Amino acid sequence: MAHHHVTSADIAIDGDHLDNSKVAKVKAIAMGVAAVGTLISLYLLFFAPEKISGSFAYSWLFAFYFFLTLSIGGCFWTLLHNVSNSGWGTSVRRTFENLGSTYPWMFLFGIPLLCPEVQQYLYEWMNTHRAATGDVKEYLHHHDHLLYNKYWFMNLPFWYGRVIFWGVGLSLVIIGLRKLSIAQDSDPNPGTARLFKARFHSTYTLIIFALTITFTGFDFMMGLDYKWFSTMWGVYLFAGSALNSMAVIILVCAWLKSQGHLKHVTGPEHFHIMGKLLFAFTVFWAYIAFSQYFLIWYAGITEETSYFLIRNTGNWNTAMIVLVFGHFVVPFVILLQAWLKRNPKTLSIMAGYTLVMHVLDHYLISVPERGISLGNINHEVFGDIQVSIPGAFWGDILAFVTIGSAFLFFLLRAIGQHSLYPNRDPRILESANLSN
Amino acid sequence: MSTTRKRVYGYLAEFKSASALYKAAEKIRDAGFRKWDCYSPYPIHGLDGAMGLKRSILPWFVFFGGMTGTATAFTLAYSTQVVIYPTVVQAKPANIFTIPAFFPVMFELTILFSGFTVLFGLLALIQLPRLNHPLFASKQFHRATDDGFFIAIEARDSKFSPNATRELLAEIGGANIELVEEED
Repeated sequence: MAHHHVTSADIAIDGDHLDNSKVAKVKAIAMGVAAVGTLISLYLLFFAPEKISGSFAYSWLFAFYFFLTLSIGGCFWTLLHNVSNSGWGTSVRRTFENLGSTYPWMFLFGIPLLCPEVQQYLYEWMNTHRAATGDVKEYLHHHDHLLYNKYWFMNLPFWYGRVIFWGVGLSLVIIGLRKLSIAQDSDPNPGTARLFKARFHSTYTLIIFALTITFTGFDFMMGLDYKWFSTMWGVYLFAGSALNSMAVIILVCAWLKSQGHLKHVTGPEHFHIMGKLLFAFTVFWAYIAFSQYFLIWYAGITEETSYFLIRNTGNWNTAMIVLVFGHFVVPFVILLQAWLKRNPKTLSIMAGYTLVMHVLDHYLISVPERGISLGNINHEVFGDIQVSIPGAFWGDILAFVTIGSAFLFFLLRAIGQHSLYPNRDPRILESANLSN
Repeated sequence: MSTTRKRVYGYLAEFKSASALYKAAEKIRDAGFRKWDCYSPYPIHGLDGAMGLKRSILPWFVFFGGMTGTATAFTLAYSTQVVIYPTVVQAKPANIFTIPAFFPVMFELTILFSGFTVLFGLLALIQLPRLNHPLFASKQFHRATDDGFFIAIEARDSKFSPNATRELLAEIGGANIELVEEED
């Protein structure tokens, strides 16, 4: 396996840039679809008949949070690479940063969820809070004692404050780190100063990341049923986020490689490591998902079991069983193969498959609540509580395509902005000559 | 004059650095030798590729060892908890659908059996423990655990020849070339 030893003569001195005219068409289409889709979605959320806007609120939440997990994962891999002083991934680190840089944009798609008109269908606890007359706490004391006890965390000002912090905090982190990384690309005297600076700032900002993935999960998803709680929730969402952002990173790197980019600096060794991370997080996701299920199943506490009771009713049960085999057993056995992880093509197929399973996972996180909540909130409009709402599926597809197109647009835009790998990073040769 | 004839183990040659060892290994691999090995004080990245080593069969042992663990645990838990003595807790049923309750045991035994297979499979494949090794007869070989980088080509290799192999080792940078004979 004697391969060419990469030296500084092989590194493009001014970086390896994507020819933006090649992706101009895809970007234009993605932006067009996202713009039209957003307009239609805003109409459906705010001006359509209540029956439609109610069920579409869940579609929007599902699509918003799905793509947010991918962006958050990009921030995670950037931070982890910096803080662990890693050398292996320097040649693919720019892709981590590009994926992470979509976070501020993806968070903007959460703005409709800040409006009471949308929240009324999603978060019942907010309805109770808003219906309060006089002192909210006093009102809750008499109307819903559970909400009275949870008031210190579940109150409107704190909720809005937190959500704004999640949006602004991690955005500043990833924008700052990406700027620092890009500034190195054109530095005539590139040294180690930025490397150490990035490492230092990644330490405490890793805490901001951890809070963001955990508590956006609490505030947007767990809040769908204020009676339900799970201490595994944050880590469960993190497992899916890290796994699937790595899947996106693999797809982007394999695509860039097929276009003739990342020459000399990435090879089978890099895909092997990224494949190992994909494998590791497949196992980690299963471990956490099972632990959550197991603890709830064993304890048998009424408030906790509701989550799985809903999802093990009717066709949701079939989907949950598909998740066990499709999200864990199948990729686990396939990804054990070493040769498969070293080949960008076969690894990309597995990465794409993992993303499809992530869609199913997040669909099962956000949507089964819809039929129950809407029936509870307004019996007159939405009818009886039902397992699923017929026809609401089309709204899910619309929201997914809309936010998905926007995600694709912002990702391609970020990829095309700067060099595809940090060409003047002190560790670029170490990374290029990786052997594992 | 003693006439005991000692069995020849092979040639031992020293190389001056890890990279010299790496490059020499590539040349011996390309010369088609099979029964030979590198000795270095620390692991060298990519040396297995330079030596042309095939992937070990050990992962397959471990895979089936692990599966045995899973099956053992399932049989153990199912037969005791469902067939022989069903334990009813919180009115939960005891049948095949309560398999999640058995998962921790199945998981642990999978790990345990895999771990045992790794350890004992590895020891069997590298033929350890053993009391002695013919290379210990060499006076310089102890430096392989300190600062010496060695390659030994065994006499039982079909390509081995008393003169040509010695010349090959000298040609690719080997120093202190020594014909190692087994003691007794």
